[in-house]
Amino acid sequence: MRSRLRWPVMLAAATLMLAACSQGTDEPPSTAAQAPAATTSCASNGELTMWERSGGNKQMVDLLVAAWNEKNPNCKIKLTYIPHTEMVGKIAQGIASGEVPDLMGMDLIYAPQFEKAQQLVDLTDRIGTWPELKTASKGHMTVATFENRLYGVPLYADVSALFYNKDLFKKAGLDPDKPPTSLAELRAYADKITALGGDTKGYYLPGNCAGCNIFTVGPLMWASGAKIEAAGPGDEPLVGDGVKQVLQFTREMVEAGNVPEGARSENGETFHLQFGSGKVGMMGTGNFNITLARQQNPKMDFGIALLPGMTPNSSASFIGGDLVVVPKGSQRVDDAVNVMKFLLSDEVQVEVYAKALNLTTRTDMVDNKYFQAEPLVQDVAKALDVGRTPYTLTFFEQINSPQGPWLKMLQRAYYSDDNLDTVITDAKAAMKSIANE
Amino acid sequence: MYRSRRSQLIGIAYLAPALVFVLAFTAYPLVQMVWMSFHNWSLITPAKYVGLDNYKRAFADDQFWVSFAFTLKYTAIITPVLIVGGYLLALLTSESSRLRRITRTTVFIPVVIGLGVSSLLWYWLFSADFGLVNKALADLGLISKPVLWLGVDAGRSNLAITASVVWKVIGFGMILFVGAIQAIPREITEASLVDGASYRQRVTRVILPLTLRTVLLVTLVSVIGSLLAFDQFYIMTAGQPQNETATSVFYVYLNSFPYLKLGYGAALSMILALTILVFTVVQLLLTRRSHA
Repeated sequence: MRSRLRWPVMLAAATLMLAACSQGTDEPPSTAAQAPAATTSCASNGELTMWERSGGNKQMVDLLVAAWNEKNPNCKIKLTYIPHTEMVGKIAQGIASGEVPDLMGMDLIYAPQFEKAQQLVDLTDRIGTWPELKTASKGHMTVATFENRLYGVPLYADVSALFYNKDLFKKAGLDPDKPPTSLAELRAYADKITALGGDTKGYYLPGNCAGCNIFTVGPLMWASGAKIEAAGPGDEPLVGDGVKQVLQFTREMVEAGNVPEGARSENGETFHLQFGSGKVGMMGTGNFNITLARQQNPKMDFGIALLPGMTPNSSASFIGGDLVVVPKGSQRVDDAVNVMKFLLSDEVQVEVYAKALNLTTRTDMVDNKYFQAEPLVQDVAKALDVGRTPYTLTFFEQINSPQGPWLKMLQRAYYSDDNLDTVITDAKAAMKSIANE
Repeated sequence: MYRSRRSQLIGIAYLAPALVFVLAFTAYPLVQMVWMSFHNWSLITPAKYVGLDNYKRAFADDQFWVSFAFTLKYTAIITPVLIVGGYLLALLTSESSRLRRITRTTVFIPVVIGLGVSSLLWYWLFSADFGLVNKALADLGLISKPVLWLGVDAGRSNLAITASVVWKVIGFGMILFVGAIQAIPREITEASLVDGASYRQRVTRVILPLTLRTVLLVTLVSVIGSLLAFDQFYIMTAGQPQNETATSVFYVYLNSFPYLKLGYGAALSMILALTILVFTVVQLLLTRRSHA
């Protein structure tokens, strides 16, 4: 009996030892003090490995990588896409097993938790004084910084704004050059567009998509003076009258029939197709929808304005997108830094980002020949000035998760008669509990 | 003594490949999971020993039990449909004729499609705006406005997902039942015919008792598969509405990967694994009894 027990016990002990031995991390080969000055070319020869999430702006990242590879044939980037929903786990597994790429694109909202865990290379001494960073997207730079140390630079930016269908505006007797500047106007315009009848609706609210809502409803709250997420333990979420005011606004929009019924099951899969359908008068969406809506509905005339708040002319936007970061254990930190320098260079900002009608990641590069020829991109670029990015170590649990308190709160506001104070109190308690863990 | 020792070594050598496989892919992950369940570990920070805290937390976690209850409900609904439906299809197609072979093949084809792919297919078929299901129902005059199949009403979502999974896996049970029915000795069938048994009597008194072991096997596979349901709910509802269609495995996945709470996810997995073990033991006992 004793010998029968010995083997499983030894096996378990060996397993624990193996697991314990696999926790180490590699240090980067060169320190900041030894690092050469950054350039926009190779620091050494050989292929660079890079991971990027598949659900982001793939078209833009492909163009950036192609531009780098063309200029640097001796250290081409080998890009691997990881499914968006798997990215956090995959990075964590890579870090734990020591199998990390040389650099990676990371959904910017997840950066703080990796920075806090010290799993990204601190780049402050290498890049902190670059003049390009003074005008880099402030949302990106906020989340790329942890305790005054810098861990990355913007890879690309997505901002939210209010897209409106000028054809439907004209049909409803509205001035197509005067988009709504407050939530009251938004409601009044939506009523008129819905009154056109058929399956035309004034507004769109994605009822089953946490991420779409922080992107498009979150700014309505920010513009109304509210704060949404709990940054960390002890921090108070959902602060300000704007939270309840916006929830009331959305509830009334749904009750008035201004939102298509199908929106209730929108989990993000068809969100990007809604505006281009031509049946929605106004909708919060992102800069990516400019090209998409044109492809979907070439004859549709549309405009872009900033997402408004309660007070006239108040506005806000969600700055999303990705950062370029260097995971701990990367063997090519110098090259990774050079890629960052390349991405922020004037030439790439204009000839790659702007030429493809994507937002530049530096605000001083917005005034360029490509945007001048495309007023809609200029309009959406204004969102970079009023935009922000939530900063919390538990963004997924609090906000982005389909099981999280943010979506639950919105669904109760949109589709139930529950008292809004109770709805907010419940969500607040759940968010605080997550942040306090 | 020498002979028996040598025989033992030869035996172990024959067993070695399978043993290595089981140790590497079953025993090691299981031990690792038990170890993880006693720790708080996010993968990106060092693991911290917390004793039984994760288990205590799991028993007090309302959402876990909501998910667990939903999983049991889903299992209770889909299992009889798969067993009865699969058996009826098997009775209809077990005889050999061209039409029956074509029917068997047609019903079996979805089995070879991945569950993720079929879930995505049905997600689009059930789409309120673009789905063919609503279009077909509207063209037939059965509905006047689109039905929101997924993510709005838990019962309706469960119904839609059950329909998609039945389409996907009913052929598996059917094929096993067909094999079992065809294995019944012809003499027994002929004897029952000579005795004047009706078709119904043959099914209930001859075919069903002689294929009971296969019925229990298919039930076991179906119950385990349903208790581990993930892909279809992850893709088609993501647990909505209000987390009412979140299955246990979906909740384990959320905690383990997006939330990076591997220790807690491991504790939830252990509870789930023990539950499945209980179901399996009960069903195996029933199988033995039926055999006896």
